[in-house]
Amino acid sequence: MTSTEAADFGALIAERSDEPAWLTERRQRAWNAFESANWPSSKDEEWMRTDIRLFKLDKFSPAPADNAQPGGEALLAKGVDLGGRIESVNGRAIVSQLDDDLAAKGVIFGGLSQAVVDHSETLQAIFDKEVVSPTYDRFAMLNDACWTGGVVLYVPKNVHLEKPLHAISRLAGAGASDFSKTIVVLEEGAEATLLMETDSDDETTSGLHNGTIEIVVGKGAKLRYVNLQNWNNRTWHFGHQKAIVGKQAQLQWTIGALGSRLAKVNQRVALAGSDAEAQVNGVMFTEGKQHLCYNTHQHHEAPYCRSDLLYKNALQDQSRTVWRGMIGVDEAGQRTDAYQRNDNLMLTSDARADSIPGLEIEADDVRCTHGSTSGRVDDTMIYYAMSRGYTRQEAVRMIVTGFFQQVFDRITIDSVREALGEAIGQRVQDLPNQ
Amino acid sequence: MSDYESVGQISEFADPSSTLVEVDDEAIVLIHAAGRFYALDDVCTHDGGPLSDGPLDCEDQTPSIACPRHGAKFALGTGAALTMPATKPTRVHETKVEGDQVFVRLSE
Ligand code: FES
Repeated sequence: MTSTEAADFGALIAERSDEPAWLTERRQRAWNAFESANWPSSKDEEWMRTDIRLFKLDKFSPAPADNAQPGGEALLAKGVDLGGRIESVNGRAIVSQLDDDLAAKGVIFGGLSQAVVDHSETLQAIFDKEVVSPTYDRFAMLNDACWTGGVVLYVPKNVHLEKPLHAISRLAGAGASDFSKTIVVLEEGAEATLLMETDSDDETTSGLHNGTIEIVVGKGAKLRYVNLQNWNNRTWHFGHQKAIVGKQAQLQWTIGALGSRLAKVNQRVALAGSDAEAQVNGVMFTEGKQHLCYNTHQHHEAPYCRSDLLYKNALQDQSRTVWRGMIGVDEAGQRTDAYQRNDNLMLTSDARADSIPGLEIEADDVRCTHGSTSGRVDDTMIYYAMSRGYTRQEAVRMIVTGFFQQVFDRITIDSVREALGEAIGQRVQDLPNQ
Repeated sequence: MSDYESVGQISEFADPSSTLVEVDDEAIVLIHAAGRFYALDDVCTHDGGPLSDGPLDCEDQTPSIACPRHGAKFALGTGAALTMPATKPTRVHETKVEGDQVFVRLSE
């Protein structure tokens, strides 16, 4: 730790003097833990394949969003009638809107900074749950000490949101950073769709995102959550994400991972109440020298739960993906039905995908299956398409689209399917003819 | 081909030594041995081990650096994999010294 960092932390606390005391104390505890911890190294099993030796925290500043202007139309919001929206720049909210009728029903949707002041008690109870462990590793500690913004969605009992809500986080300026927390709580019987995405204002400046996502889906509640990670390819992206799904509740969580220079994300789903269900969809598309590492964990803590995870990755250039997936079933998790699968499509011979599924099962009456495939793009298919008059690029695009179709078929929100398809299409367009 | 990038002053690199440097967002191991500079990808082709953390062997006819993970050796001059478990070479990059500065140029 450098004295600059300590001074930055002091300044952050001073700047946030409106915050309730419980939060300031929590930040201080996390900061103390951060100061005495080391960065993860390749000696840690979890980090063995993800090299962060070139990551230097002091290259990034908690740049404020002074004079930040709202950006253009977001990918996931195109043509969607929204019930509310949030936009943040460098981890600070600059737009926050929610339909009046939803606010009247007790829905909270807005920037976390304001919410912790306005709804201190509600938020304290959520923070105290520690859905994501604030001391999991040094990134989690830093996030817990220094977060400046993020999104809160709280939906009271039995309230159904018909229209999706949308949030976009942008990074602007060289060396900018975003330290955010996303908190989503659906009380019993509630229903909502939340679309979130990230974006960088330009392609060449380096940035840092260190964020957490904590989701609680109450008994019988239903959440559709989409998270499109679309930072530029010079951004470091670290994330701890976890959802707890209650009894008879349903979660559909879709991840699009397109951006970042290096990503290390832990995505966990805990099926905590009986008969809970989680579907996790992942789409990754990488290029250049990108390195994306996603660790997923499906944790069955209760009986009769279903989890179904499908990650599909297409890689070009010298990019690399690492997917480590674990299904864990506690002794209480009888009659579990769990599935995980990761498919990789290599568009160049220099790309590399590591796929490491795992099972840890303590119950005896379960069905847990996993699968993984990796393959090069099929030259015969390209040749065939080209003989029908398509260019090589068009042929590759068709193959990539076909590859992702299986995940797209599971995404029930039309606009999201289109937006993901478009975002991927834009990147495939850059494919050099070879 | 990219341009030469300065990675530091000669005096920063003891002889012999190996140092992790960053060139165009890539992790490169810069080796100073018997008055010469070598630059290799700091990534073992076996399973991504960090070469800069491994021991140098400058006594041998073919000077090499070993991966700290499973011991594969790579020739400093050519990047060739000299011992198992690595079978593929790691990339080598051009180096030059101008004045007191050391430069590296990434190869494709
Ligand atoms: S990773 Fe280098 S020898 Fe195995």
